[in-house]
Amino acid sequence: MKASVGDRVIVAGRHLGERRRTGRIVEVRGVDGAPPYRVEWDEDGRTTLYFPSYDCRVESPSEATSNESRAPS
Amino acid sequence: MRVADLTWRAPVTIDCADPILKAAQTLSEAGVGSLVVVDGGRPVGIVTDRDIVTRCVAERVEPDTRIDSIMSMGVVALDADADVEELYAVFASHAIRRVPLVEDDRVVGMVTLDDAIVSTAAALNDLAGVFSRQIAFPKAGDEPAAPAVPG
Repeated sequence: MKASVGDRVIVAGRHLGERRRTGRIVEVRGVDGAPPYRVEWDEDGRTTLYFPSYDCRVESPSEATSNESRAPS
Repeated sequence: MRVADLTWRAPVTIDCADPILKAAQTLSEAGVGSLVVVDGGRPVGIVTDRDIVTRCVAERVEPDTRIDSIMSMGVVALDADADVEELYAVFASHAIRRVPLVEDDRVVGMVTLDDAIVSTAAALNDLAGVFSRQIAFPKAGDEPAAPAVPG
């Protein structure tokens, strides 16, 4: 996984009781965009260090905007 | 107080491709309640003894199934020099009970909610002792002399 500062993080949550979480990458700590990332979570505005897994995808700000405009209103 | 000042333990890891059976054996042998699941050395999830019960045994998942099929994905971590308040915020906002500690982005420890509560309670108890003495003996020098040791 590679990401840049400003990219959106979407964590699907796969098991019962796991919530979908979204946030914004505020720091890339790995080499060449690799994890871990510092993520500011939309839910509460807190920032944590995050090692993503297979249920996580990253979108650039332009992709996120595009996806939002395609979403049903 | 820093997170690293709390009681914490060395992380026990398992590879994401290892079977659930090996995870259960590792939990038992290491005497811990959770493992950090790694992929190429990088953490990708956490699996607990409860995960094995509820997501494997209860669902009749074969024990030779890969551990990453039942792990909780993604790892919220803290730098070891983070403040304890930050740890409590992580526990609260992510609804988790275990947080890996990292130094230079390598997992070096695991702190649990139980560890944090016990450490904080001990610190508060020490503080209560100081305040109790101050309340009982508000003036310096009021403290009773230590009893003489019979010689």
